Amino acid sequence: MTPLFLAHGSAEFWSDQTVNGLTTGSIYALVALGYTMVYGILQLINFAHGEVFMVGAFAGYGVLVALGGEDISGVMVLVAIILALAAAGAASAVTAATIERVAYRPLRNAPRLAPLISAIGVSIFLSHLVDDGFLDGKSKFYPQIFPTGDLSAGPLSISYLQLFLIGSSLVMMAGLYWVVQRTRTGKAIRAVSESRENAALMGIDVDRMIVATFVLGAIMAGFGGVLYGLFLSSIRGSMGFLPGVKAFTAAVLGGIGSIPGAVVGGFFLGLTESVGRELLNEIPGVNLPNEWKDVVAFALLVVVLIFRPTGIFRQRETKRA
Amino acid sequence: MRHRTWSRWFLAIALLALIAIAAAACGDDDDNGAATTAPGGAAAKGFTDAGYKAAGFKTVTIDSGASVKIGVSSALSGDVKGLGVPIADSAETAGDGVTIKGHKVEFVREDDLCSAEGGPAAADRLIKANVVAVVGPICSGGTRASLGAYDKAGITHISPSATAGDLTTPSRAEGPYVTFFRVPVLNGDEAKAQADFAKNTLKAKTAFVVFDTDDYGKDLSQQFQNFFTAGGGKIVGSPAGYEKKQNDFKSVITSIKAAKPDLVYLAGFYGEATPFLQQLRAESDLKTTPFMGGDGVKNDELISGAKDAAENAYLALPGERGAGFANYATKYKAKYNGDAETATFGPEAYDAATIILRAIDKVAKDDGGKLTIDMKALNDAIKTTTLTDGATGTIKFGNDGNRAGAAVKFFQVKSGKYVELK
Repeated sequence: MTPLFLAHGSAEFWSDQTVNGLTTGSIYALVALGYTMVYGILQLINFAHGEVFMVGAFAGYGVLVALGGEDISGVMVLVAIILALAAAGAASAVTAATIERVAYRPLRNAPRLAPLISAIGVSIFLSHLVDDGFLDGKSKFYPQIFPTGDLSAGPLSISYLQLFLIGSSLVMMAGLYWVVQRTRTGKAIRAVSESRENAALMGIDVDRMIVATFVLGAIMAGFGGVLYGLFLSSIRGSMGFLPGVKAFTAAVLGGIGSIPGAVVGGFFLGLTESVGRELLNEIPGVNLPNEWKDVVAFALLVVVLIFRPTGIFRQRETKRA
Repeated sequence: MRHRTWSRWFLAIALLALIAIAAAACGDDDDNGAATTAPGGAAAKGFTDAGYKAAGFKTVTIDSGASVKIGVSSALSGDVKGLGVPIADSAETAGDGVTIKGHKVEFVREDDLCSAEGGPAAADRLIKANVVAVVGPICSGGTRASLGAYDKAGITHISPSATAGDLTTPSRAEGPYVTFFRVPVLNGDEAKAQADFAKNTLKAKTAFVVFDTDDYGKDLSQQFQNFFTAGGGKIVGSPAGYEKKQNDFKSVITSIKAAKPDLVYLAGFYGEATPFLQQLRAESDLKTTPFMGGDGVKNDELISGAKDAAENAYLALPGERGAGFANYATKYKAKYNGDAETATFGPEAYDAATIILRAIDKVAKDDGGKLTIDMKALNDAIKTTTLTDGATGTIKFGNDGNRAGAAVKFFQVKSGKYVELK
């Protein structure tokens, strides 16, 4: 670090902002995976994915409350969180599979715009169903059960919760990568995304693989929902919108269709939001207020896309049926 | 190929330049804003003798059997009709069954369209209709444009809802128009009370400001900053704006941690204040830093949502449900089948009309069936009113026409309840 970097913030400040960026980024990355996988296989932007994430957050919330809410302590915290993650993954998976069956499959051979509109419709329907139908516009709050405290070394410090978030999301992403690369289902999904017709000719059940793709992406989003709840506490029906847009952006940034791209894009966007604006403020004469953080992040997105129109990880552009 | 690369660079640089210009322009704006809206002292001079001399007060006579006319300048058509009609109805509600020394009261409604053009036009028609006093205009633009006309005619008017700060600090040598009063509690009143509270009660020397980027949050936070710095306080870090439905305040909180303020101030609503407080209190360095919010934050859902994180938070709440609210609600329901709970500025309009009616009753002289009203005396009576049974609480006016000592109460969250601080 040059002294320039220390001009307006301490080393601790920069380390905190970096950790914040990584934490938010890991949630973006988990959600972005669903966007990128569905796009890879259907060339469909699943705008309802943010709501799949929301459903996961609520399922996890339900489990935590049922297990005692704020009273959960000791080793039960870990058990409760694992159960919450499992419930969230399952709820999100069921939601996504249902959405696919009801809103997308009937439109599989319709013009491209039809499923896109259908996706937006499902998104609005779900968020309002939860907000206005169930919650009467109120928010729910995750019980604050995670042990507080920091792990620190010199100016660097990271809270246990953030460490858990970043670590567990990396594990989940690695798990997904393994499924896609190493299992038969994963291989079949990749085959379908290469060419639906050829895969069908090889005896792969294309519809099933499409559902599997939705389900895998949804599980990641469900996990992301629980981590989001643990981290930021407040959840509501419309909570999926902003992370959804950000995650979609991350997917595009990384190169939509690419799994490593979604992960890198997520972390990149998270870091840009938290550190990017502060770094620009180091330039003498520049003082961008907090509300400009999205402007900075999205301007950077445009810059990246100007130079790499297909995102950081270019996808092979040859595959088209 | 080479050409294409160059055009990309050009695009990227152009984009960054655009943002830089926008950011720079934005920064300038803030500086100017701070300079011109600086509170207290010079700008707020209050009513002056010259101001009273300039106003065209007369004495009017009302024939025996004729009714006392009170004007209502409100938006009765157009986009703001939904706000304007309940205001006019509420004002008339105050006249229900009221007679002044044997004379009936008649309300004259004129449509001011809530616009700068409509305000003076309505004023003109009301003055020609020989009204004694006026409730309105309802919007700041229309009020600003008609202040002069009412002043010249010597007709005192009370706005139930015009909240722009400069209406009572016009740039003229005679000071504020002595014929203008208003009932609403202004953002500035709340911000001033908050700044005083921060300085005197909390002994805060530095504050970090977080605000909702809508009009309310921007205005309230800007006014707080002005009052706080005018009182010797210092704003640390750069004020952090956020959009509605924002949930992730972590990076703002990291900035707060670095700034080490004596007070964290938030101008916005409870929906965002709740996660903000939870994330703030999750930070070990900021567990006990005092937090203060305003009327948008004080809501039961803040406590039910943030739980322990809401403990010890300070909240300011301007205005109140006064002793007269139930009375107003019943009468408004009976006469117009209106819902007092949803009639924005309705209680203020009711109170404005009540103040006018009582002041007229006080100064009107019965002259063998005729009624004579000295408009200067009427103006004085309104100015010195103390309305204790208003629908919006006790109302008094300051020496500039604004509601004086507008009740701003302070609460602190103690064991999951709002406890009023006396």
